[in-house]
Amino acid sequence: MTKEQLLNQIKPMIDLTTDHQPYYMILSSSFPMESHLPQDVSYQDHVLKFRNQNPMTFYIIYDGKDELSLHIHFEAYTQVDLIEVKTLDVKACLHKTMTLDEGAQVHVFSENLSHSASSHEDVYLQSYAQCQYGYSELSDDSFEGIYHFYLDGVEARAQVRTAILSKNQENKHYEILIQHNQPMTYGQMDNYGVVKDSGKLVIDGIGTITKGQHGSAAHQTNKIMVFDEACHACANPYLYIDDYDVQASHAAAVGKMDEEHLYYLQSRGLTKKQAMQLITYGYLMPVVEVIDNEMIKKHFENSLSKVGA
Amino acid sequence: MSTLKIENLHVEVGDKEILKGLNLEVKTGEVHAIMGPNGNGKSTLLSTIMGHPKYIVTQGSITLDDQDVLAMSVDERARAGLFLGMQYPQEIPGITNSDFLRAAINAKRDEPISLFKFIRMLDKNIEELGMDENLAHRYLNEGFSGGEKKRNEILQMKLLQPRFALLDEIDSGLDVDALRVVAEAINSMRSDDFGCIMVSHYERMFELVKPTHVHVLVQGQIVMSGGYELVEKIDQDGYEWVKELGYEWEQNERQPIILEACGKKESLK
Repeated sequence: MTKEQLLNQIKPMIDLTTDHQPYYMILSSSFPMESHLPQDVSYQDHVLKFRNQNPMTFYIIYDGKDELSLHIHFEAYTQVDLIEVKTLDVKACLHKTMTLDEGAQVHVFSENLSHSASSHEDVYLQSYAQCQYGYSELSDDSFEGIYHFYLDGVEARAQVRTAILSKNQENKHYEILIQHNQPMTYGQMDNYGVVKDSGKLVIDGIGTITKGQHGSAAHQTNKIMVFDEACHACANPYLYIDDYDVQASHAAAVGKMDEEHLYYLQSRGLTKKQAMQLITYGYLMPVVEVIDNEMIKKHFENSLSKVGA
Repeated sequence: MSTLKIENLHVEVGDKEILKGLNLEVKTGEVHAIMGPNGNGKSTLLSTIMGHPKYIVTQGSITLDDQDVLAMSVDERARAGLFLGMQYPQEIPGITNSDFLRAAINAKRDEPISLFKFIRMLDKNIEELGMDENLAHRYLNEGFSGGEKKRNEILQMKLLQPRFALLDEIDSGLDVDALRVVAEAINSMRSDDFGCIMVSHYERMFELVKPTHVHVLVQGQIVMSGGYELVEKIDQDGYEWVKELGYEWEQNERQPIILEACGKKESLK
């Protein structure tokens, strides 16, 4: 894609009334790195570094044909709302790592518009760092996403939400891990999927609390709603707990849309199709709650129209 | 004036026949109370009128003026002017009350309601029903108390302005103040263009919303019809005297089970 085409991908998510000249970066295998960076954000040798004093919003586009790599470093106490778009080409692979130093607060909304590609992402959180990550995985092709979060400092918190759609002949696999390597850490993941047609979806949710990490909490929910007989869906929850003084919970469900929910909405005059759309919408919508941004809400709402019913 | 007419209605759930030739005619402007011991078909009657897929009509007819209600889908019945205030309203996560209510209002309109008009209408009704101000932004019935759920049913009724409301134990789970608020809301709907069938076990409800007709439903049939004096008699004497008139029924003491997450998982298997 050209630079202009790529910039158009993020445009619906930018509030141009307040953000006239948004800060962004395009990481592409087709042309040199393109960006508009403020003074306190720098890029060198595949490392993007945030040392901003004031909260900021930043956009990153990953566009590639083969291997792409990036390390993002948030210095202590930085506050960043990060909006990502992946437009990876067939067989491309993104390798991304993120480090949040002490007390950094990072909220990410990540939209995937890739072709049959894969992404391996590792996020490391130091003490008191907080990360809320929302993955919108509605791309029109197969995908493999390996998203790992490591809570490496006391009281680090990671909250991950995914909204996945697998349709037609798509084959999607996601592995989401939150690993607690320090005491008093908190991890929560909510992975929601919808499978249609002959789509295939496997979600592996993994919560790991290593020995000695007392006072930690690992929670996860994995749910997949299937629409058609030829769908293939697996929601696998894993909890590996090696300490006694912890809280942990997991839930996994694969099933059809609840008939009683449909009946309730239809009894208020909504057609079956409208009711199914509303239920699906409600099912996937929470992914946008990781970030307080009306533009993203609207944008995601629009992209949900392709989920149909 | 509209008429909802039920003739010789036979309804099965699973293999068991619950309604056995029930007849009832309700006109707009009337409020009909249905009373009867547990497990004799009161909720089945209301759910069948609304079209719950679990209830299979084996004989008989339901008509709304000239329209064949049984030939309509659930949503067509709603758009034709039927409304069921449910005994156990569903909790639906992810859908906010305001999104749902707006979609429901728009389902009955050609042109979508303007956001401004909708919010004004919603706020006014939320205040009248003494409901939580944040209700519009909360997920549909999720985490609502029993009383809040029932008020939410009444809120929907007020916004949708049906021709016939079917209220299934709308008073259960309400404290005395909430009961009064709900009763006032129902009374405010009463007009020549509104008819109502109410199921309740308690005289208090019918004291606040005076029915024009009262029926006793036993063993899937209406065995007796009258006026408010029937409510008073049942309140005083229970239903034993009905047996003396030659009707028998099984005592059904089973409590309803509310299926939560685990039950749901089972049902998905």
